[in-house]
Amino acid sequence: MKRLSLYGGSLLAAVILFGGVSLTASIGQRPKAAATTNYWWAPGSGQTFPASADFPNASGTLRVLLDGGPMATKGHPFFTALSPSGRACVTCHQPSDSMSLSAETAQRRWRETNGRDPLFAAYDGSNCPSLPQDRADSHSLLLTRGLIRIQRPWPPRDPIGRNITVDYKIEIVRDPTGCNSGKYGPAAEHPTVSVYRRPRPLANMKYLLAVGFAYDPKQGMPLPLDPETKKPLSGNLMADGRASTLTAQMSDAAGSHLELTRHLTPAQMRQITDFESRVFTAQQRDVSGTALDADGAEGGPMKLFTSRPGQLGSIGKPVWSEFEAWEKPKPGLTREAAAFRASVARGAKIFRDKTFLITDSSGINSPIGFGNPVRNACAFCHNMSQMGNDVAPGQVDLGTTTLPFADPAPDLPLFRITCLGRPHPHYGRVIYTSDPGYALTTGRCADVGKITLQSLRGLAARAPYFANGSAKDLRGLVDYYDRRYHIGYTEQEKQDLVNLMRSL
Amino acid sequence: MKVVLLIAAAMGVSAAQAEELRFVTCPIYRDTDAGKKSGCWLADAHETGNRYDVSKAPSKPDWNHAVLVEGVVASRTTEDACGGVVLDPVRTSILPADCPRHMLEAEGFPGRKFVLPRRNVSPLSAARAPIPGPFAARTFRVFYDFDQSFLVYQYDDYLFDAAVAWLRAAKPRAIKVVGWAATDSVAISGMDFAEHADIAKERAEKIAESLARMGFDKSIISVEWHGGAKPVIDPDIDGLVEPSRRRVDIVATL
Ligand code: HEC
Ligand code: HEC
Repeated sequence: MKRLSLYGGSLLAAVILFGGVSLTASIGQRPKAAATTNYWWAPGSGQTFPASADFPNASGTLRVLLDGGPMATKGHPFFTALSPSGRACVTCHQPSDSMSLSAETAQRRWRETNGRDPLFAAYDGSNCPSLPQDRADSHSLLLTRGLIRIQRPWPPRDPIGRNITVDYKIEIVRDPTGCNSGKYGPAAEHPTVSVYRRPRPLANMKYLLAVGFAYDPKQGMPLPLDPETKKPLSGNLMADGRASTLTAQMSDAAGSHLELTRHLTPAQMRQITDFESRVFTAQQRDVSGTALDADGAEGGPMKLFTSRPGQLGSIGKPVWSEFEAWEKPKPGLTREAAAFRASVARGAKIFRDKTFLITDSSGINSPIGFGNPVRNACAFCHNMSQMGNDVAPGQVDLGTTTLPFADPAPDLPLFRITCLGRPHPHYGRVIYTSDPGYALTTGRCADVGKITLQSLRGLAARAPYFANGSAKDLRGLVDYYDRRYHIGYTEQEKQDLVNLMRSL
Repeated sequence: MKVVLLIAAAMGVSAAQAEELRFVTCPIYRDTDAGKKSGCWLADAHETGNRYDVSKAPSKPDWNHAVLVEGVVASRTTEDACGGVVLDPVRTSILPADCPRHMLEAEGFPGRKFVLPRRNVSPLSAARAPIPGPFAARTFRVFYDFDQSFLVYQYDDYLFDAAVAWLRAAKPRAIKVVGWAATDSVAISGMDFAEHADIAKERAEKIAESLARMGFDKSIISVEWHGGAKPVIDPDIDGLVEPSRRRVDIVATL
């Protein structure tokens, strides 16, 4: 059960420190629109976004902070239905779900609205617009995996709309949704490729936009520059890296998810970017009864808010050293809380130090020079302090979408990619994938299967995991890694990793 | 397979006594565990039957592909961390040919604890020492693996970054980017080897684009490319001869 605890009847004022300025959160205001429930932020509800709000989830409480908050959302373009379908950005980027959208929330919305919520709009909230929209199974990818349809132009275009030269051929092997054949798909009159992806959490954005180094070691080039500001781009947005600035992303989202035919105005864009750059989320309390920033620990979003983004854990503050203080037991805790803290602290060490052989993962094993295989740990790829994304642009092929490493997914389309120039460094000439990922942006077969690493914060609020929702919970995610890289984690180590991740 | 460092000798470089080995083989990964990035790379030279430790190459092999090894037996006797004669300096280039994946257990070999390579780029947040003038016309180089145009992490990025830092300080009137490819065919391990001619163009164009991304005005950058590359002496190729052909020259005119 999710509950917007700060909207309850109690008028407790939370005092939060933002950058040394003390603010009183305006809380206790009852949501005005009836459509807004305690777990769901409906577009146009007009409620105030508080400076701090806590949302319960199965493993504890997520905290959402708004730097400079509280903020009125009436008329704010992020919260207002700009689309004919009645959707807003907030529809898919829900505060209670760490600014993403869990499959559980989608299911609940379906039940409570009989599938009429704008979330389920035919365009991308269903498996394909050509399906009968009143049936749950036409929305099965959203309801079971939390996936939104992403329709990419084919061939890919560069940021100013010119076709990109593609060094591979794409064919359809399987089309369970019908959105890659007939009037859809790469062979249609207006060619497109439809893939299905999880909404990415829209919080702690300063980390995703941070530029740690001038170079992209995975591409062997300096970072590309923002055409507007001429500053280097972090390359850490979107599963396929198709938009590298919040503005570019916004135009993409407005044109697709919101089905807007006219552009957002510059003022609307400024309002949205401003909001996006102020939201911080992280798990704050665990159900075992522990505040995640208790006794020297530094979990929770405040630390994210106050830290400098873009730092490499291996040369600065180690990744998840937030829980270092819990390496030493503290007397006086309940057995449950003590065991939980010890497990989280071990999990952080496993994440950083327990090595395994990383194999056949392009972006890491090729072409950068690390070799195939290379011995390393989770924090090799998830290397940014506080955030766990990649300091360098994080396009890596973990195998989540590509055979033979991907889990069976009969409900997803399957593409056959044939490399026309050089073969792929690990898969050879012919590749089977349900989402070519970064290759849909670059047009290069060497990039097939690469998916941009996400933030690792607020995980407990936004299952399932991976861009295609293939890991249904955190244990499922650890099991995937264990299978993929033959890690051989013990039962205890798996549990420790799960406990760490549910605390992020 | 052996190239005597004639040029180096002519220039009076002292490392010239060493012989540069050059062979093609299937690499072997030895799963030593001294922490992150501590695995060993071994390469058997078919001609002699010797097993070499090529782990010190800036870019490592791929156990599914053949590898071109170019290196010199380390002059100082190093400990046998991996179970092979240590080549240092050494370069390994991944080739398209397939190899059976082969992994050895550690078998008591310790491997080497990873140390950050001397050539590594600092984060943008780190303060940089200013480069003092006066400046004179100068050529910078980056070197490539066989038939590749990729700038290897913690090697080429460092060389390129050093060039950029100097160019920013010296503010040259013109920058000429010259891509080279080693297109003259040579026999290595019984096979004929020559780089594709178009790799010279690819190398040069990527460097020109990289310079533009680092803020240099495209109008002062000119690009050319050539086959038939000859070796050069440069401290950053660590005395190796053959790999020095595969390069881009960044020529600054003040
Ligand atoms: C129908 C659901 C939906 C709506 C509505 C929506 N998004 Fe998204 N958003 C997504 C999905 C799915 C992704 C991931 C896409 C991908 O990875 O290819 C995403 C990704 C993003 C990202 C990238 C975050 C990251 O870490 O990479 C940003 C920024 C974003 N959305 C902003 C917005 C804005 C602003 C709006 C309103 C204009 C909006 N979204 C509306 C589903 C939605
Ligand atoms: C070779 C690089 C690499 C290594 C090593 C690695 N990851 Fe990942 N991780 C990725 C990539 C790439 C993704 C995105 C994949 C996708 O979405 O399909 C990812 C995604 C994740 C996510 C999902 C986040 C989300 O929002 O869905 C979690 C959690 C995660 N990794 C945890 C781990 C853990 C735990 C380990 C160690 C067992 C680990 N990772 C090791 C590259 C790596």
